[in-house]
Amino acid sequence: MAAVPRPIDQAGTAAGSDEVIVKADGIAKYFDVSPPWLNRVLERSGRQILHAVDGVSFTIRRGETLSLVGESGCGKSTVARLLVGLYTPTRGRVEFFGRDLGEMNTAAGRGLRQKLQMIFQDPYASLNPRWRVHDIVAEPLIAHGLMRDREQITARVDEVLQQVKLSPADRVKYPHQFSGGQRQRLSIARALATKPEFLVCDEPTSALDVSVQAQVLNLMKDLQRELGLTYLFISHNLAVVHHISDRVGVMYLGKVVELAPRRTLFEAPRHPYTRMLLDAIPDLEMTGRARTPVAGEVPNPLNPPSGCTFHPRCPHANARCRSEAPALRRVQHAGGDAEVACHAVEEGRI
Amino acid sequence: MSITEPLLEVRSLRIEFPTRRGTLLAVDDVSLSIAPGEVLGVVGESGAGKSLTGAAIIGLLEPPGRIAAGEIKLAGLRIDNLPYDDMRKIRGREIGAIFQDPLTSLNPLYTVGQQIVETITTHLNMSGSKARERAIELLQSTGIPAAERRIDHYPHQFSGGMRQRVVIALALAAQPKLVIADEPTTALDVSIQAQIISLLKQLCRDHGTAVMLVTHDMGVIAETADRVAVMYAGRIAEVGPVADVIHRPQHPYTMGLMGSIPSMVADKERLTQIDGTMPRLTAIPSGCAFHPRCTRAFDRCSRERPDLMPAGASMAACWLHDSNTLRRAA
Repeated sequence: MAAVPRPIDQAGTAAGSDEVIVKADGIAKYFDVSPPWLNRVLERSGRQILHAVDGVSFTIRRGETLSLVGESGCGKSTVARLLVGLYTPTRGRVEFFGRDLGEMNTAAGRGLRQKLQMIFQDPYASLNPRWRVHDIVAEPLIAHGLMRDREQITARVDEVLQQVKLSPADRVKYPHQFSGGQRQRLSIARALATKPEFLVCDEPTSALDVSVQAQVLNLMKDLQRELGLTYLFISHNLAVVHHISDRVGVMYLGKVVELAPRRTLFEAPRHPYTRMLLDAIPDLEMTGRARTPVAGEVPNPLNPPSGCTFHPRCPHANARCRSEAPALRRVQHAGGDAEVACHAVEEGRI
Repeated sequence: MSITEPLLEVRSLRIEFPTRRGTLLAVDDVSLSIAPGEVLGVVGESGAGKSLTGAAIIGLLEPPGRIAAGEIKLAGLRIDNLPYDDMRKIRGREIGAIFQDPLTSLNPLYTVGQQIVETITTHLNMSGSKARERAIELLQSTGIPAAERRIDHYPHQFSGGMRQRVVIALALAAQPKLVIADEPTTALDVSIQAQIISLLKQLCRDHGTAVMLVTHDMGVIAETADRVAVMYAGRIAEVGPVADVIHRPQHPYTMGLMGSIPSMVADKERLTQIDGTMPRLTAIPSGCAFHPRCTRAFDRCSRERPDLMPAGASMAACWLHDSNTLRRAA
């Protein structure tokens, strides 16, 4: 596959470059989910604010894949949407190449948006069924005003279609003529059209069958190597995360509870919630390891528990956990470096 | 309970969907059996026909889908050709069902108690108050806290995991001998999924209930099933003891499927990928349906359709295991 000319110099884009390209600094997103005014008056209830994301900080270096995992409702998809500017943060800021994402809609920030793109979960809902593939893939090029010339656009469309292992002849087809995996590749092609450097992938394979998932994951890894892409990968599937990530953040009720390099996280998880999640995965190897029984469910995010939000399910909780929310702190341990938000870990109780 | 007599026997089941553009063959020549108390896993990708096989067994095939050939026997009795009313007596009493989405399998207008009591009084000779007591016991056994109070709640007042527990209680209410569980944990989060799987396993062990567990998740199968059948394009590609199928797959499709699952133990740079996609029902390839995607296909694969034949400790529908092929290779 031909290497794509890059808009800016990208020497040394192999994983592990030190240049931080994305920085989330204490971002939070609150949603007002109150009942209508009349209901509030009649029922004498106040406003209800959902803290979907509540103070999340991380950095992503060039060429790296950071994954966020967690169960439904933990806020991982909201983080994804905050990062591409689909939501504006209630608090905190997102920096992209050292510039505030909020500038994106100003003249100075115009170039910013084309460098970040998003791949959505459902390849059936994210492609317009009445548009041909050519129009779908060309849309970002036209929207960003990158290309005007028809032939030039077609050439670029063909190029990205080949990059995702589709044929240029597929240009004239409609989305319904493709299978789920091929559609997800179309989404990737559309995202790649503007030559982005940062892709936010929100559960890109969870709607796909395993064998198709393998195709898409392999493609994503290949593209990352060839184009030096940086990924934020959102998933609830820990095995997929283990396969694709360099670093992993575990989220619970709007907060990151543990952030660590992949190997450290999977081999020496520190936070009780991370341990619980890893324990809960069905064991394909059938090693017969004993599972710690997992108690309870994710609490209602509208009414989260006090202190550490995990304390009702945590076997190590004490009075401090019930009253004081732990902050994300760097912890050094035998398994490696990690950032963990847990009083018990900090106090050396576990 | 004799081991020799299978509880459920499906022989040469064929499910067709007549459409304007011809008849689609969704399940073709599927044979399987489940012994009393056994957990049979049925895995496959979307469109492999695994859910349809389950639906055919409980007599819930949606028209125009119909059983075109084959027979289904429950404890030696044919159930695939029973009249609607007779099948109703078997459904719930002899065969319980658990579906993927607990919200759609519960009636939102009735309390969970009313629904469980209805099942019990319909199938078992029990008075209303007795049935209610039993319903509370059932809810308790599925790990629902404060069951005496929760029994009067409506489905929407339960969380997803709790709702699936209610569905399990409902499926086991009349003490069926067989439970068809169609993707029982797919809609749930991992931590809840683990709870539900161990609950299902424990309850079925306690009651000696056999389970047909339909899922696309190999991990769930590995944890739960005794034997596993792998389906591809409406047929069984491989069937065997769960440890053999997972660790020593015999059919190239099973091998590819196992290789494509990201592992948490080994570090793999690339996953094994099976190129192409499952054929559409309108264009099932000749011979072995997997041959266009198979890396080990040879001329016979595109001409003749293989039946299940012994392969290691399992049975695989693949010409690689035919005695002629093996002899030539030797």
